[in-house]
Amino acid sequence: MHRIIPAAAALALAFTLPGAVLAQNQGQGKGHGGDHARQDKGGGPDRADRGGDRGRGGGEARGRGPERADRHVPPEPVRQADRGPDPDRGRGRDDDRGDRPVERDVRRAIEAGAPIAVFRVEPDRGLIAGCPPGLAKRNNGCLPPGQERKIERARYDYLWGSRDDVTYRYDDGYLYRLDRSGSVLGWLPALGGALAPGAVWPAQYAYQPVPDYYSDYFRLNDPYDYRYANGALYGVDPRTQAITQVVALLTGQPISIGQPLPAGYDVYNVPYPYRSRYMDTADSLYRYNDGYVYRVDPTTQLVQAAIQLLT
Amino acid sequence: MRNIMRRALTPLAVLLLAACGGEEKAGGEAADQVQPSSRSLAATLQAEDGFGTLNEMATNAGLKGVLEGVGPYTVFAPADGAFQAGGAGADFTDESLRAQSVALLRAHIVPGALTRQDIAAAIERDGDGEVQMRTMANTLLTFSRNGEAVVVTAENGARGRLTGEERLASNGVLQPIDALLVRPETPSS
Repeated sequence: MHRIIPAAAALALAFTLPGAVLAQNQGQGKGHGGDHARQDKGGGPDRADRGGDRGRGGGEARGRGPERADRHVPPEPVRQADRGPDPDRGRGRDDDRGDRPVERDVRRAIEAGAPIAVFRVEPDRGLIAGCPPGLAKRNNGCLPPGQERKIERARYDYLWGSRDDVTYRYDDGYLYRLDRSGSVLGWLPALGGALAPGAVWPAQYAYQPVPDYYSDYFRLNDPYDYRYANGALYGVDPRTQAITQVVALLTGQPISIGQPLPAGYDVYNVPYPYRSRYMDTADSLYRYNDGYVYRVDPTTQLVQAAIQLLT
Repeated sequence: MRNIMRRALTPLAVLLLAACGGEEKAGGEAADQVQPSSRSLAATLQAEDGFGTLNEMATNAGLKGVLEGVGPYTVFAPADGAFQAGGAGADFTDESLRAQSVALLRAHIVPGALTRQDIAAAIERDGDGEVQMRTMANTLLTFSRNGEAVVVTAENGARGRLTGEERLASNGVLQPIDALLVRPETPSS
């Protein structure tokens, strides 16, 4: 029974102290991807010189010529920014641990003032400008050396989220962004294509490190590097840079406290263990996204709180 | 322990919510009424009849781990027949279409646990009778009623209806639908 009191205190705090920012989480996942240059529209054909040292054991050395048709880009140094200080550590964490039974519990509610940007939204999904290895850059667009071949119109175009002026086409592991004339503006590896268990992480493809909360929430206990890119969490073997697992899918939808709830969260979707705690009422709506439950004002549709869920 | 927690907390939660000025359970059931099974989405997909295509796609695509993981997700699961009808002849279980399988799956998965009751309640509450959820492909699915049926419409116009029974898995919900929520284009020459 003693466990109820801390929980109740947490709840009481959450609901009655609007000014109390229990955890800023401002540093978490925000700007930690470093400055992986991305929208370099005038980018040259070879991004080999990008970033500093990785600081870990790199992969095997391979040739680097832009003429290589090999899709597995040789591991080049990619700057991986540190996670930075974790504001969660040492902040009320000891209160919740100890000899309590294995039980799902609310970690804390983060009140107004701190926008929750768990992962930075990648413009164009982390598109890499220029041409992928194997397609040398010509005047306008990428053509393979010695061959006149543009990317054929594929019958599965409809799957890639092309919009009015943005066309994505898939070929052999990678998505290509095309302009209206069909020239390649950029490329990125596709989940299920170049990003699949067993494949080496394409060295030029930027990712974001996973915040500690997500390590807890998704129970990331294996000795892998965990990365987020374009809607998925990956586990990567730090020695070989091979993807070992796809851990989770995420919408990647940024939801900020004090901002309106984005479109697409109309239906109550709180995970089962939390339903008795977070029920929709006339004063509060609760919606789940990417590991958080968000409390929303029904009238204004403004997000009032983001609640971390401990499993 | 869990039951004690729940029983003790529920009246507490009620107290807090009542203090906020009224309690209209507009959505969401008490945890007691939503009893998920102990099977994951992956195990459910494997065990249930009629979803062989989807199951094989998820396996080939390397997404079984996702569907065994914490989630939760709600998977709008096209039955095998839906693939034959709407897939424009594509065999998404083929190894060569692995990335396409992933893209298709993502367009059918939304975050969280949505029961039929949740969806119905949301539709009823909405003035226009239409509510939306965002998929893992960052597209919007629109839910509405057509008589007794719940219709799911995708942005590109693809449309299906919830059929059969929902399956409450440990890490989400499997919601069977009768069509694909992606629409193949007719190839132009």
